[in-house]
Amino acid sequence: MIVVENLSKSFRLSKEHKKEKATLARGNRVEAVSDVSFTCKPGRIFSLLGPNGAGKTTILRMIATMLRPSAGHISVAGYDTTKEAGQVRRHIGFLTGATGLYERLTPAEMIDYFGRLNGMEPALLEKRKGDLFHLLGIDEFAGRRIGKLSSGMKQKVSIARTMIHDPQVVVFDEPTVGLDVITAKSIHQLIRQCRTDGKTVIFSTHIMGEVSLLSDDLAILHRSRLLYNDTYENFIKGMKAKSLEDEFIRRVEEA
Amino acid sequence: MKILAIIFKKELKDMLRDRRTLFFMIVMPFLVIFLIFNLSMRLGQDMEKRAQEKELKVAVFASAPLPSFIQLLQTMERVKIDTAVPQSEITQAVNDGRVDFAIAFPGDFLESVDSEGTNDVQVYYKASTSENEQALDRVRKVLEAYKKQMLDRRLQKKNLAAAFVEPLKVVERDVSSVREKIGQRLGGMFPYFFVLFCFLGAMYPAIDLAAGEKERGTMETLLVSPATRIQIVIGKFLVVTASGIFTALASVVWLYLVFRQSKTVPPEVLSGILKVIEWKSLLLLFSMIIPLCAFFAAILLSASVFAKSFKEAQSIITPLNFIVLVPILIGIFPGIKLNAVTALIPILNISLATKEIIAGTISPWVMAEVYLVLFSLAVMGLIFCTRWFNREEIIFRGV
Repeated sequence: MIVVENLSKSFRLSKEHKKEKATLARGNRVEAVSDVSFTCKPGRIFSLLGPNGAGKTTILRMIATMLRPSAGHISVAGYDTTKEAGQVRRHIGFLTGATGLYERLTPAEMIDYFGRLNGMEPALLEKRKGDLFHLLGIDEFAGRRIGKLSSGMKQKVSIARTMIHDPQVVVFDEPTVGLDVITAKSIHQLIRQCRTDGKTVIFSTHIMGEVSLLSDDLAILHRSRLLYNDTYENFIKGMKAKSLEDEFIRRVEEA
Repeated sequence: MKILAIIFKKELKDMLRDRRTLFFMIVMPFLVIFLIFNLSMRLGQDMEKRAQEKELKVAVFASAPLPSFIQLLQTMERVKIDTAVPQSEITQAVNDGRVDFAIAFPGDFLESVDSEGTNDVQVYYKASTSENEQALDRVRKVLEAYKKQMLDRRLQKKNLAAAFVEPLKVVERDVSSVREKIGQRLGGMFPYFFVLFCFLGAMYPAIDLAAGEKERGTMETLLVSPATRIQIVIGKFLVVTASGIFTALASVVWLYLVFRQSKTVPPEVLSGILKVIEWKSLLLLFSMIIPLCAFFAAILLSASVFAKSFKEAQSIITPLNFIVLVPILIGIFPGIKLNAVTALIPILNISLATKEIIAGTISPWVMAEVYLVLFSLAVMGLIFCTRWFNREEIIFRGV
């Protein structure tokens, strides 16, 4: 479960950013997220849709305790992200399309590292690792340096890294950006599997196809504010434009 | 503590698998020391040899023949007396290298000597050629011998003993021990190597462990793990510090090995050096390296985590190299001594303290001050670095 209440985040602007984000800036600060509230429920996939720069990554990073909210509260698996950040991190899995791996380690070492950081008992870690490696087909290259693996193999290791500690909540920040179709499909499978396992899943994207493929609940973020927040079903029912894409553009333009 | 150990072990393993890091830690110190040592020895020897072996063309100008002087000149090896140059072209001939030296006696030289007068004998040469400068010594010796001949003649005439013109003879006795001498000479060179290598050895891992982690996209995953930022920073900091210490030690070992294999250093000099460098001194030196490396590691990691990429980190850190070099160079100047004031200046204090530790002349109070300064800097550096890691705009700069 993720509960986001009246969440805001502002950043101080550096000189280089001032030019880029001039439209959103008020003085020296820019409001990246303004008064956003939503709830992601276990066993459902919540998608956060929005154009680049809307504030998706900032929200997800606040959920994952990497950034502190300027205002508002977030609770993840029942823990407050600012007061109990350590507990939140134990219950969260985080994956982005730009996620890298330690290229000089082997998949086995990489997974051991994150399992241990998550405080897993050695026996449990071995078992989870064995299961995941078998499921994802990592076994055959588990002892090779990650730097020498193909991008598809790397993505599998990334998935194993995200899931090793069996997190209750999984955060995907544009997880398929830059991936080929086959690799992207493995991510879609993972997201669905998480739902089946009763985990809380939130993923951000700017790709409509992914939204229709995966969403149970949908929020549309535009210029740091929420434009829409309801089930995907209701979104489809209330559509005035012909396609999903046109409807999205219509709503953004209306706002 | 457990998480810290996990991070430390992983970072260490990761670092030791990086060929570039290993190159900086092990191969580079060897190359630098080997090249500097052999080049400086070789160049110095070559120059001396050339000056010694060069055949000097010397022109002598005098109104009357000076057979005894010419004889002296001829006893010198590799000297050719040139008679072709006329006296009017003396400066030009030396300038264009037709002769290396021209010695001009005044017209009434012999008469003046007999009448107990004194004379200017002019030696023309070109000092801008470094070989000539060394060869000048050879010419001076001949002139000195000639002068002594004339002086003896005068003294004989007057029936005086040689001691008459030499009421006092200066005998210099250096009471400093061999250890002190070596401390002053070698002690200046020693810190030059290990301070620099502390920095260079820590530099690459620092860039790799912070800016490199951002660039490869692994920083986020690490930050989402249950490890706190302080644990992450300290784990990285310890690895970077260890790498600086290791590189400095490697440089000392290389220095010793290069010295030992060298045929130009006489074995008695080497054994003399080894005799005066005590284990206690080495341990003292080593104990100073630890806080120094910690201080470097904190600065380097802070700079590295600020950078968006490997390249940016390199461009921030490269100028720091020169900043580190300045106090070391100041330490090499003669006359700058370790005292309560210079002990406050980081790096310079190590450089000066090293000399005194090797010479065995360091005062425990000043040593304590050096420690205090280095440890405070290391602690302040680490505090700064952890705060810096905790600032969102720094750690997410460019992520």
